[in-house]
Amino acid sequence: MKTPNEQFAMPQCLNSKSKPSLFCPGCGESIILKHLGNVVDSENIQSKTTLVIDIGCTLLSWNYFNFDIIQSHHGRSVPVSVGYKMARGSRVVIALMGDGGAYAIGLQSLLHAAFRNDPILAIVINNTEYSMTGGQMAPTTVPNEVTTTSPLGKNASIFGPAFHGPELVRQIANSKAFIARASVGNPTLMDSIITKAIENQQKNNSFSMVEILSICPTNWKTDAAESFEFLAKLEKIYPVGEVKKTLDKKSEDI
Amino acid sequence: MKNDVTKIVLAGEGGQGIQTIAKILSLALVKADYFVSYIPQFGPEQRGTPSVSFIQFSKSQITYPKFDTADIVMVLRRRAIKTIESYIGSKTDVLFDSSTIARQNFTLNNSRLFAIPATKLAEEEFGAKNQNILALAALAKNFLDYPKNALWEIIAEQLGKKFAKNKSLAGKAKEAFDFAYDFSLESKKFTKAEYDTSDSLIVKKNSQRVAVIVPKYCKGCGICILKCPVNALSFGKTLGVYGTPVPEIDIDKCINCGNCYRFCPDCAIRVVKK
Ligand SMILES: Cc1ncc(C[n+]2csc(CCOP(=O)(O)OP(=O)(O)O)c2C)c(N)n1
Ligand code: SF4
Ligand code: SF4
Ligand code: SF4
Repeated sequence: MKTPNEQFAMPQCLNSKSKPSLFCPGCGESIILKHLGNVVDSENIQSKTTLVIDIGCTLLSWNYFNFDIIQSHHGRSVPVSVGYKMARGSRVVIALMGDGGAYAIGLQSLLHAAFRNDPILAIVINNTEYSMTGGQMAPTTVPNEVTTTSPLGKNASIFGPAFHGPELVRQIANSKAFIARASVGNPTLMDSIITKAIENQQKNNSFSMVEILSICPTNWKTDAAESFEFLAKLEKIYPVGEVKKTLDKKSEDI
Repeated sequence: MKNDVTKIVLAGEGGQGIQTIAKILSLALVKADYFVSYIPQFGPEQRGTPSVSFIQFSKSQITYPKFDTADIVMVLRRRAIKTIESYIGSKTDVLFDSSTIARQNFTLNNSRLFAIPATKLAEEEFGAKNQNILALAALAKNFLDYPKNALWEIIAEQLGKKFAKNKSLAGKAKEAFDFAYDFSLESKKFTKAEYDTSDSLIVKKNSQRVAVIVPKYCKGCGICILKCPVNALSFGKTLGVYGTPVPEIDIDKCINCGNCYRFCPDCAIRVVKK
């Protein structure tokens, strides 16, 4: 057993100098990063991992790990990762972004990376809103959800239903792509999904995308119990697990 | 007031209500016919680093919102000292919370150190939420000589919504305000900083397992307590980085399931088999 010290509860690849982290108390993004660190440790890839972060709360992780981290622009962590991977093919490249970055401003980059089977892993944190800027409505905001720009609840007849990113990307993604959804409500499953996605990049030289349902107590204005209650509701709307193609063969052949 | 322009820095942790005090103080100064400039510290740092605000007021117009040395610095948590230390000059009056910060944490040789044990008073007498009102009242009275009733009116107006929801909160806030306004500040002899963040690890063992809790990383979110299947965790007396209580573990009740480690966002707790 390790002798107890301040790093006792930390994955090895974490930068202890980043603690206490810049994330709010109880932030789900911070839970996700810790588990990403656990997978990097167990896959033994610390020396060859590069993380590309987006604009949004993911940027608060700029010094989170003891491996290279690149700061990109809003919605641009995917194309930066793709270019980086082209130049440094032996690296394990992970793009980390919020749902606003992935599905609003950066959607075309994500779709084409999946379509071309670019061998990167895109992790999308779905906390149903733009967190860093104060909790505005995002595509992923669920019907009737109150945000700062939908104070009466999101009106689905005007703004559309809950945006299912992985299901959308699956329809046009290369068949070798691994696409799944996880949740901070089930960290063990999250670990195994992230592991699979990283293996798909390393072994099959293929694209992976993992959306992770997360909690944002600051903008949701929830305590621990309420955060996980709302997360359980989200898990009903956004099913967790590997996402399979639903379009029939014919439409794919056209 | 000392100079033509008086420069104030307020600092603490997020959640301590620094920006609330800054806003109320600025409004109060505007009401007293001053030109006022107030800027909160911006940047991505605003989430997890100390909360700081910069205020200037003057009878003539203020041309630039930044400055190098403050006339008055108020600091409410130890971690914030590093952020604002460079604004303290030899003539700066420093007001601090003596129940969260020990005197020796100020490395500067400044004789103008004054304190009110705001957190202790709030926790033990006036309700935890009123710690910033205590600090504000002490600051406004002792360094700005701001009239009591006029200041309370502005507080009541600004916090009106909160007070309307919770009548007893309003009563307690007023009591805290009155107390702090007439409080004679500590200088030279200070209250013990018993509400400071704990720097030491908490290690609990029995024959089967070892638990480690790291108060200076713990933000008191309570997720570990929620996720413990056997209720082995509860908030204790030790304080974490934001001055919130950190969990205590009943090591014999614990079944070593790993949930607290799995869910803690801040790498502040872990139990392992021996
Ligand atoms: C091109 C561009 N547009 C807008 C912004 C402003 N902006 C900064 S953070 C942010 C929201 C990020 O939300 P999301 O991608 O969901 O990430 P989260 O903060 O939720 O993790 C926005 C719109 C920006 N920085 N750049
Ligand atoms: S705003 Fe939300 S997502 Fe961003 S750090 Fe705070 S809790 Fe996390
Ligand atoms: S290891 Fe499991 S049982 Fe033990 S304190 Fe943590 S959550 Fe509770
Ligand atoms: S989950 Fe971590 S940060 Fe939150 S209260 Fe527990 S130990 Fe502290």
